Amino acid sequence: MIPLTLFWFYPMLNSFLISLTDWDYISPTYNIVWLDNYMNLIRDPIFHEVLWNTLYFTLGTVIPTIVGGLLLALLVLKNQQGMGMFRTILFSPWVTPTVAVAIVWSWIFEPETGIANWVLSFFGLPGLEWTGSSTWAMPAVIIVTVWKGLGWAMIFYLNALKRIPTDLFEAASIDGAGGFQKFFRVTVPLVSPTTFFLSIISTVQALEAYDQIQVMTQGGPAGSTRTLLYLFYQAAFEEFNMGKATAVATVIILITSILSIIQFGLSRKWVHYQ
Amino acid sequence: MNAKAWWTGSITIGKYLLLTFLSFLMFFPFLWMISSALKTKDEIWQFPPSLLPENPQWHNFLDAWNVAPFGLYMFNSVFTAAVIVLLQIISGAMMAYAFTQFQFRGRNILFALILGSYMLPVAATYVPSYVLLGKFQLLDTYTGIIVSNAVSVFGIFLLRQAFLQVPKELIEAAKLDGSSHWQILWKMLFPLTLPTFATFGLISFVQMYNNYLWPSLIIKSEEKMLITQGIQKFFMQEGGYGMQWPLIMAASSFVVFPLLILFVFAQKSFVSGINDQGIKG
Repeated sequence: MIPLTLFWFYPMLNSFLISLTDWDYISPTYNIVWLDNYMNLIRDPIFHEVLWNTLYFTLGTVIPTIVGGLLLALLVLKNQQGMGMFRTILFSPWVTPTVAVAIVWSWIFEPETGIANWVLSFFGLPGLEWTGSSTWAMPAVIIVTVWKGLGWAMIFYLNALKRIPTDLFEAASIDGAGGFQKFFRVTVPLVSPTTFFLSIISTVQALEAYDQIQVMTQGGPAGSTRTLLYLFYQAAFEEFNMGKATAVATVIILITSILSIIQFGLSRKWVHYQ
Repeated sequence: MNAKAWWTGSITIGKYLLLTFLSFLMFFPFLWMISSALKTKDEIWQFPPSLLPENPQWHNFLDAWNVAPFGLYMFNSVFTAAVIVLLQIISGAMMAYAFTQFQFRGRNILFALILGSYMLPVAATYVPSYVLLGKFQLLDTYTGIIVSNAVSVFGIFLLRQAFLQVPKELIEAAKLDGSSHWQILWKMLFPLTLPTFATFGLISFVQMYNNYLWPSLIIKSEEKMLITQGIQKFFMQEGGYGMQWPLIMAASSFVVFPLLILFVFAQKSFVSGINDQGIKG
């Protein structure tokens, strides 16, 4: 209980208190500036850009991870020969350190001789600058993040799909439902608790993404991959502007809380518990 | 009937082809990592890239291993991760035991607080936790990393869920026999819920081994660095000046492979334990 208080509850509160000051970490004294840090953020165009980047990154990772995870789970659901192996391979990226695989991906995205551009040239497409271009850096980071998280979402859906009673599908077949109808009328509603859970957890994870951004782009070029957490990191541990950093942290907490509340509210409407 | 059998047959084949293709796509970065690690410096800069190295440079692995103290980094990671997992298991089990076996005031509020904090990003705690570690003189120490990770909210949930599955009568019987809480927890609940403990231990170990941002804030001296920091430092040095991609890929390989091997051996525990059932309150 003590460590939990020390490293969870107390910091959360303390973080908010620091956000009301102009503390620079080194000096022992500080002034209380009340909401100045927040006002500065609201006025700062960089902060607006960061909010937009965070939204882009979050939607760009959460939606493909969830949709892809469900489709993969449907593919490997039946206990046919070799499915265990497919599941293992599809899940394997999740186990590996983001820092190390992000390094491997930076080599794949290398603009001149990287294999990503070689694949593009196969289709007659011009090579991209990837992490060197402010348009393509974010998609590159998103690709790595989705690659790493897909298998993880798949495992959750596998568990959910196994819990669906088979007689529901039989009943739907008797009613003359085709494959697509069964998918949208039976499968999707019945795995909705998992979708709901995954969307919250993946959103929180997207807000916490740091490793791949630090390795691949350091928030650049021109701030195009700087998300809220990255801004937080730069403010706190590069500029030592603790007031600004903790204000950003409060914004992150606020967004997560609001999302959780909205999602819980919505869940009453569209989540079907059995 | 025959047409139908033919149809389902070709669907199955199509599914296998699709799965093989997708698995290849997912696994390709690892293959590419090894292939690149075995190339010469000239070969790696060829375009179009060659899929297989012409003359595998096995010594790249040895060279990379010797350029930076990867053995030390790896030891640091495995050591701190192991201690953290042990502490998380003990603290998680005790908390879960308290939540399932004791009636105390504010139990539900406390649990809701913990549940809520599971949803909040850890990053929000970094500045105050950092300051706190500074006050205790724990920056740049193993103790700092270990203490600040000693409790896992995820672990409390998972174990609480497992303990709830154990029949109440068993615990009552043990109490009548005069067992202490400590004995009930470790002699009875622990063996009964061993698979959950194993799953949690493995997942947490992997997370701690892979952890990067928080340790890199705490640890500054070279000889205490974790493997994730070590590989990033190596990448910055070699990638920045020498562009030693083959060595970088070789180094990435021995950072990634221990985990892949661990995963292959223990995949059942990973896969069965990751389940949202454990999260429902």
